Amino acid sequence: MSGYAARLPAGDRPLLMLGISGVIALEDPVVPARTVRLTAWGRWAREVAVPEVAADRVAELAGLFQIVWVSEWGHVAHEAFREVLRLPEAPWPFLPAQFDKLPVIRDYAGRRPWAWVDEPVADLAGPVPRSDGGVVVRVGAGAGISEVDPADLARRVLALR
Amino acid sequence: MDTGTAYGLRLREPNLDLAQVGPGTPYGEVLRRYWQPVARSDEAITAPKALRILGEDLVLFRTRRGAVGLLHPRCAHRGASLYYGGVEEEGIRCCYHGWVFDPRGHCLEQPCEPELGLHRERIRQPWYPVQERYGLVWAYLGDPARKPLLPRYDTLEELGPGEHLIVDDTGVGGGGPALLDFNWLQHWENVLDPFHVPILHARFSGFQFTPEMALMPEVTFEYTDRGVRSVQTRELSDGRRLRRVTEVVFPNLRVVASPRLSAGRTNIIGWVVPLDDTSFKIFTLARDTDPDFLRKLRSTHDGRPWAELSEAEHQMMPGDYEAQKSQGSVSLHHEDHLTITDQGVAMLRRMMARQIRAVAEGGHPAGVVFEESAATIRVEGGNYFEDGPDAAGDGSA
Repeated sequence: MSGYAARLPAGDRPLLMLGISGVIALEDPVVPARTVRLTAWGRWAREVAVPEVAADRVAELAGLFQIVWVSEWGHVAHEAFREVLRLPEAPWPFLPAQFDKLPVIRDYAGRRPWAWVDEPVADLAGPVPRSDGGVVVRVGAGAGISEVDPADLARRVLALR
Repeated sequence: MDTGTAYGLRLREPNLDLAQVGPGTPYGEVLRRYWQPVARSDEAITAPKALRILGEDLVLFRTRRGAVGLLHPRCAHRGASLYYGGVEEEGIRCCYHGWVFDPRGHCLEQPCEPELGLHRERIRQPWYPVQERYGLVWAYLGDPARKPLLPRYDTLEELGPGEHLIVDDTGVGGGGPALLDFNWLQHWENVLDPFHVPILHARFSGFQFTPEMALMPEVTFEYTDRGVRSVQTRELSDGRRLRRVTEVVFPNLRVVASPRLSAGRTNIIGWVVPLDDTSFKIFTLARDTDPDFLRKLRSTHDGRPWAELSEAEHQMMPGDYEAQKSQGSVSLHHEDHLTITDQGVAMLRRMMARQIRAVAEGGHPAGVVFEESAATIRVEGGNYFEDGPDAAGDGSA
């Protein structure tokens, strides 16, 4: 692998590797969602549907995990979603990957326990990847992060230790 | 100590799920669920023509009665290629033992056999359905049970007074050979990369299109029912605003309006058709009163076309071909570092992945049509000028 070296996570909380498409930005929403126009640093804009619960759910997860964006949105993720998700000013680390994310996640996490929440499209046509080192969660692209139970996810990750 | 050197570099792979096109490959099966242009109609003649489409070798011919056939080349008898066959009234005759096959693969004659073949009706040469429309031969290489209708495109219907339908398969307007020698996806996803235009086609190479295209645009991206669209806005020096709408329509159609900025809805659309994983052709259709319209659109340097430029000139003034070809025979997608201005590329790849899943799970991919009432596709791409004399032009998207 060449090029980008991700910033290391702070603290010692477990890592939550979070996809964007189908997780924060829904596809054909089946849960209450609002359409927001996103941009970051100008030049481009997109309208996406974000679950009504997303900001609270992300905040709850951020209290349990160190969140790392793992998506094709790259460093745009935090900037673009900062307002709608009420994110902290300092961006969270990110891994710029759209597909075949597991090797990137494992390399980044090292020995630290992790969970990875994403939509099935991230696996292309393949099965959900498995890893002994972490918890892999798939959510429907119409509901996204609404389907994640933070406390349950934290328990499952702690059980890895 | 030096860091970040290339020593020990291990590069990641292409995303073959998206890039490969052969039978049984994930996106190859998506491509096979749509009709594909495979040749110009004037190439289907009584001399058999060898074609390679989506990694499959085929033979195209037109019977003396005018029917077009597209057959697997290996004769069902003992394997001689039908490329060496002779075309007759009703079909093509194998050069080896004379078996004759019609365009649907039926065996009409086995001249060495008693009564021209007592069991010839039980032989079937593998074939594909074809249709002719807009001066092209279209083929359906997919599951027969899921064959959709061949769509129409509104911009190509009902030509205006004096307009011609122009068929072209000579490659990229900006330069390069007719047969493009790298993976098709590198070209298709370039359609959703409007930010390269002011760099590659202006800053690097002079104004390959127009001075307006050298302006860095503000871009919005959106999914459509059939693909992905970008709307690029440029504030022009004369006070007008240019809204340039570019689309990809699944599985491989590019809707890119004239970079010379003809106003209104585009009169050009083109299909990026993979011959195999490392080569493709672009079948472009246009409507214009000038039959030479597309040729005149092609970039030149001091009046010389791309093919006449030296290697040093290509290096000094690279265009789409140089940029996309140099990404590799098949680009290493997993090495890419998508960033702010790659939203369109990322959206396209994601929508491709969705179609792969849809097909793998037994569904239909985006935009296939089965009802005649839905078979005409509206093309939205174009150059729309606002606050100027063309502001009232054809409905901007």
